[in-house]
Amino acid sequence: MSGRSPWYLAYRRLRRNRVALAFGALFVAIVVFVLAAPLWATQVAHTGPTATHTTERVEVDGEKREVVNREGKPIGPLWLGAGGRFFLGADGRLGRDEMVRLMYGGRISIFIGFLSTLLATVLATVLGLLAGYYRGWTDAVISRTLDVIWAFPVTLLAIALGLALAVGGLRIGPLHLSGSSIWIPILILAFVYTPYMARPIRAEVLSLREREFVEAAVAQGAGPLRVMFGELLPNLVSTLIVFFTLGVANLMLLEATLSFLGVGVQPPNTSWGTMIGGGFELISTAPLLTVIPGAMILLTVLSVNVFGEGLRDALDPKSKIRLEAHAGIAEPEGTAV
Amino acid sequence: MRKLQAALGIAVLTMVAIGLSACGGSGGKEGGTLTGTYASFPDYLDPALSYTAEGWTAMYDTYLPLLTYKHADGEEGSEVVPALAESLPKISPDGKTYTLTLRSGLKYSDGKPVKASDFASTVERMFKLNSPGAPFYEGIVGAEEFAAGKSDSIAGIKTDDKTGKITIELTQPRGTFTNELAMLFVALLPSGTPAKNLTTEPPPATGPYEIVKSEPGRGWSYARNPQWAKTNAAQIPEVPSGHVDKIEISIVRNSATQVNEIERDQANWMQTIVPADLYNKVKDRYDGTQFRVERPINLYYFFMNTAKPPFDDVKVRQAVNYAVDPAALERIYAGALSATHQILPEGMPGHEAFNLYPHDMAKAKAMFKEANPSDRKITVWTDNESPNDEAGAYFNDVLNKLGFDAKLKTINADNYFGVIGNASTPDVDAGWTDWYQDYPHPNDFFQPLLAGESILPAYNTNVAQVDVPELNAKIAKLGEEQLGPEQEAEYAKLDREYMELAPWVPYGTNTVSTFVDSEIELDSVIFNPTMGQDLTSFQFK
Repeated sequence: MSGRSPWYLAYRRLRRNRVALAFGALFVAIVVFVLAAPLWATQVAHTGPTATHTTERVEVDGEKREVVNREGKPIGPLWLGAGGRFFLGADGRLGRDEMVRLMYGGRISIFIGFLSTLLATVLATVLGLLAGYYRGWTDAVISRTLDVIWAFPVTLLAIALGLALAVGGLRIGPLHLSGSSIWIPILILAFVYTPYMARPIRAEVLSLREREFVEAAVAQGAGPLRVMFGELLPNLVSTLIVFFTLGVANLMLLEATLSFLGVGVQPPNTSWGTMIGGGFELISTAPLLTVIPGAMILLTVLSVNVFGEGLRDALDPKSKIRLEAHAGIAEPEGTAV
Repeated sequence: MRKLQAALGIAVLTMVAIGLSACGGSGGKEGGTLTGTYASFPDYLDPALSYTAEGWTAMYDTYLPLLTYKHADGEEGSEVVPALAESLPKISPDGKTYTLTLRSGLKYSDGKPVKASDFASTVERMFKLNSPGAPFYEGIVGAEEFAAGKSDSIAGIKTDDKTGKITIELTQPRGTFTNELAMLFVALLPSGTPAKNLTTEPPPATGPYEIVKSEPGRGWSYARNPQWAKTNAAQIPEVPSGHVDKIEISIVRNSATQVNEIERDQANWMQTIVPADLYNKVKDRYDGTQFRVERPINLYYFFMNTAKPPFDDVKVRQAVNYAVDPAALERIYAGALSATHQILPEGMPGHEAFNLYPHDMAKAKAMFKEANPSDRKITVWTDNESPNDEAGAYFNDVLNKLGFDAKLKTINADNYFGVIGNASTPDVDAGWTDWYQDYPHPNDFFQPLLAGESILPAYNTNVAQVDVPELNAKIAKLGEEQLGPEQEAEYAKLDREYMELAPWVPYGTNTVSTFVDSEIELDSVIFNPTMGQDLTSFQFK
C-alpha cells in the first residue's frame, strides 16, 4: 500500500470539516457576487457605481418616484419593483444605486484584502527567512526594525500613514501614486501587517534550520539561497497558507476601519468601509446604508476566518490538539495536569 | 466741551453695558464653561492668515482690529463700528487719506500696552506672511514696495504712539477701505510678533477672550482676557464682555455625532451646519427653542481653472455651466440651499437675478462636442465635509457625463483651501468652493475672487485664475467709488459680464444653522452676518 502525501491527508481532513467547507463556499459565493458587478450594472441596474441620479425619477409598479426627495432623503430598497434598478435603494443624496456600489465596493475591499496580505506575506517570508537563517547581525537589524514598526498600534500607524499620503500621494523615485489610488491603502496595510507575520515566520525558520534535512542539504553543498528557498520555504508553506487566510480577514477589517475614517480608499473609489462611512451620516433616516455593507464585511471576514481555521487544522492537526489541550478540552480523564 | 461730551457718552455707554451684563441681558446666568464643536479645525488661528468663516467666528471676540462689525444679528450686524479706534476714520475729501485715533490705555492680554505703531507692524507682518488678505491693503502707499522687499516699512502708514494717531494714505481712493479696516487680517498684534503662523502659539489678545490652548486637529480653548475687565472693556463699549468664563472647542468630524452631543447636552453648541439628512428632523423638533436658521450672504460654486486647458476655452466652460443642474444641488443640500446661477447672491447690493445657463444637458453635450477639448483628463477637488463632498462627487459625475475623464480628489477640510490655493499644488483643474462675504459690499465678490491681481502663489482666492484686463480695470474703478445706485448697476453688469465668460458654475446660497443644547439661551445668541456666531452672546439659562 502506497503512502499518502501530507497534502492529500490535509485535503481529507479539510473535507471532513463541514463547517469550514460551508464557510469556504460562502466566501466563494461572495467573490462570485462581487465579480458579477459589471454584469448587474450593465444588464440590470443600467448605471455605474459613481453615476448620480439626484433629480431622476424611477417607475415602481406604474408609479413615478423620486430617487432623492426634495429634503434629500434617498429612495429605499425597491427589490425587483423597478426591474432591479435601485434593488437596495439609493446611497444618499447623490442617488447612486446602492446595490451596484455594494458589488463594486466589495471588489475593492476583497482585492485590497487579498493583495495587501499577499504583499505582507511575501515581505514577511523573505524577512523571516533572512533573519532566521542568518541570525546574528542580520537577525538583529531585521528584528529591531520590525520591533519599531510593531511598537506603534497598528490602527494608529495605518491612520497616520493614510492621512499623510491621502493628499500628496506617494513618490519614491520614479514610482508615483496619487492620493486617491487604491495602491496607497494596499501598501499601508501590507507595511503595518508585515511584522505580525514576519516574527512567527522567523521563529519557525530558527527551529527548522536546526533540523537534519537542513544539515543534509548543507552537507551536499547547498548554498544559503538554496537552503532558504529550496529547503526551508517548502516546509513553511502550510504555515504561510494559514497566515495568509487569517491575514486577509484581518486586513479587510483594517481597510474597512481606515476607509470608514476617511483615510483608506478615497473617492471616487468605494469599498464597504467607505460605504459604511457614507451611510453613517444617514443612519437615523436610512440605516440599511450602514447595515448592508457592514453585514457583507461580517460575512466575508467570518467566512475567511472559519475557513482559515479549518485549513490550519487540516494542514497542522497538532495545532488543534495543542490549542484544545491549552483550553483543557482534550485532557484524558484522570490525568494530572 | 466736545471732549467732555465724549467722555460722558463713553461713561453712560459703559454703565449701560455693565448694567446689561450684570442683568444677564435676557435673564440668564453669568459664568460657566461653554463647550462647542467644529467639524474641522479652522484654516488658521492666526488673525493675519485665517480666511474662513470658521476662523473668523473663532477669533471675532479675541483679536480686535481698529474697527469691527457691530455685535448684532442681520442688517444691523453689517454696520462697521469702532473697536480699538476711538471712532470711524476721518476720510480726506479726495478719499485717499484715512485718519484714526487709537483709544488710550488699551492693553493686550499679556499686559503690554496697545500702541498705534502696532497697526503698522501688524500690516507689515501680514505682508511678510503673504497673507490671503494682502490684496485688500496693497493700495496703501508703499505697501507693494514693502511686499516686494524693496523697503523696510510701509511709507503710507504713519503712527504716533503718544497721541495714538494713525494715518493711512492710499494710492487711489478705495470705497471699501473702511470695511477692510474691520477685517481680522489687520487685528492688532504687538510689535515684534513673529512673522510665522501662530496657530499653535496664539498671540496676545485685545478682545474679551484670549485663546489659551490650541491643538490643531483636536480643538482650542478660551479664557477671559485678564486685561479686558481691568482696562479694555470700559474703553470699548461696542464689544460686549461676554457671559461665559471659559470656552472649550473640540473637533468632532462627524456632524451627526455633533447633533447627537447637542441633543444629549454633552456639548452646548455646534458651529457646523446641521447635516443635511438630519436638517429637517432637527428643524421640526427644535426650531425656535434650540435651533435657528441663519442667512449669511454667501455663494457656493464650482470653479474651473481658466489658465490652462481644457478650461481655457470659454465654450467648454459654458458647456459645463449648462450641464450642472442647481436643482440637483438643492437636494444634495437637503433644502438648506437656494439655487442661483450668478455671482452676486441675493441680499448683496447690485444683485439682479438672471440665469444665462438654464440646465440643458443636450445643449451642454453639443457645445462640448463643438469645442472638442484635446485635454480631457482632469482632477476635480472637494473637501470631505458633508454635503460639500457630495457636491464635488456630483460635479465630477457631471463632467464625466459631459465627456471628460474626471478624477475626484477629496481632501481634509482643515487644509482644503490652503491646498487648492497653493500654486505648487498640481492638477487643480476644477472643484468645489464657497465664499462668505468679508463685508457687505459687492466688490467683495469680484476683487478677491476674480481680479487678476488676486492670483497669489499661496492662499490664492482666485482659484479659477481669472485675469481679464478690461474687467480687472472695471473692478478697480468701482472699488475706488463709494457705493451708490449707479455703482450697484455697474456691479450688476459686471456680474453678467463675468458669467458670460463662465469661469465658475455658481449653484446656490446656503443657509447655516445655530443649534444649541437645552442649557443655552437661544434668543441671546447673536449671528453676525460676516463673523458668524458671536461667542460673547452665549449664555446659560
